[in-house]
Amino acid sequence: VNLREFRRILRQALFFPVVLLLLLAGFFLVQLGRFSASLRTLDRTDQITTEFVGLQKLILDQETGMRGYELNGDPVMLAPYTAGMAPIQNTFAELRKQLARDAAQEHRLTALYDLYQMWLARSRGMIAKDPSLINNPQIHEQNKLAMDNIRDAVNQMLANQERQRKALSASAPELEHREFVSIFSAALFIGLAVALFTRERLRTVSNSYNVALEELEQRSHEVHDSRQWFRTTLESIGDAVIACDTQGKVEFLNAVAVGLTGWTSQDAVGRPLSEVFHIVHEETRVVAENPVEKVRLHKKVVGLANHTMLISRRGKECLIDDSAAPILDESGEMRGIVLVFHDVTEQRRTQAALIGGEKLAVAGRLAATIAHEIHNPLDSVTNLLFLLRDENDPAKRVEYLKTAEQELGRTMQISRTMLSLYREPKAPVSVDLMDLLKGVLLLLERRIAQQEIEIRTDFSADCIVEGFPAELRQVVTNVLVNAIEAAGQRGRVRVRLEDAPAEEFRGAGALIEVADSGPGIQNGAEAKLFQPFFTTKGEQGTGLGLWVSMGIVQKHGGMMRLANCEDDGYSGACARIYLPRKTLASGAPTMSA
Amino acid sequence: LLNRLILCIDDEELGLRVRGMVLERTGYRVKTATDGETGLSFFANEAVDAVVLDYFMPGMNGGEIAAEMRRLHPEVPIILLSAYINLPPEVVHMVDCTILKGEGPETLLSKLREVLAQPEDEAGPEAVR
Repeated sequence: VNLREFRRILRQALFFPVVLLLLLAGFFLVQLGRFSASLRTLDRTDQITTEFVGLQKLILDQETGMRGYELNGDPVMLAPYTAGMAPIQNTFAELRKQLARDAAQEHRLTALYDLYQMWLARSRGMIAKDPSLINNPQIHEQNKLAMDNIRDAVNQMLANQERQRKALSASAPELEHREFVSIFSAALFIGLAVALFTRERLRTVSNSYNVALEELEQRSHEVHDSRQWFRTTLESIGDAVIACDTQGKVEFLNAVAVGLTGWTSQDAVGRPLSEVFHIVHEETRVVAENPVEKVRLHKKVVGLANHTMLISRRGKECLIDDSAAPILDESGEMRGIVLVFHDVTEQRRTQAALIGGEKLAVAGRLAATIAHEIHNPLDSVTNLLFLLRDENDPAKRVEYLKTAEQELGRTMQISRTMLSLYREPKAPVSVDLMDLLKGVLLLLERRIAQQEIEIRTDFSADCIVEGFPAELRQVVTNVLVNAIEAAGQRGRVRVRLEDAPAEEFRGAGALIEVADSGPGIQNGAEAKLFQPFFTTKGEQGTGLGLWVSMGIVQKHGGMMRLANCEDDGYSGACARIYLPRKTLASGAPTMSA
Repeated sequence: LLNRLILCIDDEELGLRVRGMVLERTGYRVKTATDGETGLSFFANEAVDAVVLDYFMPGMNGGEIAAEMRRLHPEVPIILLSAYINLPPEVVHMVDCTILKGEGPETLLSKLREVLAQPEDEAGPEAVR
């Protein structure tokens, strides 16, 4: 039942009883009218009776006066006769009016009047001494008869009136009873009708109210259930979840979030996010930007900066990776912000282990290269010593010894290069990139020769940057080995080194560019090149080289990009490494090789 | 056993020269080549008794050279002499033996004696040539 229908029912429940009660009132009025009309009739009957009594008295007085005058002829005796003249006429007129509706009585009244007029005419004649009357011996007899007739007529009329009154009085109780019955039954009927109708209407309202109540209850159950479901789901998520309102006040946090922040749900709710979610930069320990502000500004999902560290309420630290997203309602209005994050400390440890693994792999490859380089001169030296043993010609002995010395010198040089590779300073030092590149190319010389690769170098002098030389050498070696492998037999590799002047988003530094004539980067591989374990070399590669290299370059505050080259003769891949003159790396190298 | 013709192939010229001198001093006849092509053309045309082959070389590597030699004269023993540690297994299986550079001339000479002794026992093909 909707609100409009509900109102209609209420209107009906009010309107119909009012109408019925008005009808009842009308009926009462009619009944009352009828009752009072009967009372008025009774009144009139009484009034007429009174008038008749008055009329009778006046006529009797007149007759008495007249008789006295007749007896002694004294005109004084005529006083009542004269006085009664006008009132009698008035009373007649009055009665005629009153009896206008009673035809029988009116008729009698007319007859009475006629009798009275006859008597009056004779009386006037006597007073005027009419001889015909005076001398008529029967006149008194006639007058007496006339008067008797008059008296009889009046008495009859009075009797009639009395009869009428009696009839009226007799019918009054019956009328009263009828009135009572009809009024009572009307009231009873209307009362019942109102009661039934109202009951029916109110029952409808009450039913619909019950239905609405049930629906409401069910809906509230559903809302509660779905709320509970969402809550449980959020609680069960493996990531930490914190939801806050648009003001950045915490509204919810799940079990994982409780574990990581050290704040219980009870304590955290209502507090500003920055208090509960205390994040700093892993290395600088500067308080990190509040993600709520950022989300409010951009109204879209934002990720946290790298190296974000969460400090729990009890001071426990963990590295986290997270994102913050706006909670939008149906109309797109922001209702709050939800933060999802997880502990990446373990992941970082694994990464470090992977980096260590790659370091070992690089070391292994380097060791193989170096062993090869050392075994060649060693072979010559042992052979020369063998020859020396039985050689008697002093000139030849000198020659052998000299050659052996040369070969040992070569071994020393290789060994020294190797050592310099592994002796890493604690703080960044100045690195001459040209020397570094030349050193790496020297190490790879044999490989280059074996593949008959044509190396073109284009080095500008004095490209000196701050950094960790062994790490940078690892990066350059990695990129060069990749280029050599890609170029293949009789391929071409071009290595460039040039100054990189300061630009809008980066300071002055140096740019190393390595381009090859290989097949280039396959479609789709670009995005994965810097991911760990991605390799295009099958069993030969660890898939960590570029990932580690990228880490080293980024640590130095530099940039590394891989793209396909379009230059003539170098249509393969092209690696560009930018290194800033002033490095960002500090302290002991964390990703060293 | 002596007076046999040994073919040495190595791109490292100094090492090759010294190795040749050691073998000559021991009594072998020696032919040296600094790359695979030169060595193979000699191998095809001359009655070589054994080959001392380097692995890591510009152009053809030791594995490719050995394969070609096996195709031409499968009976000729080949010693792979290399400074390279991780030799492909199929190459190691193909040759008679492998020696790591720097193990010294005694090792080379004894291995050479070993591989040359085997066909001596069978005698057949060597005698015909």
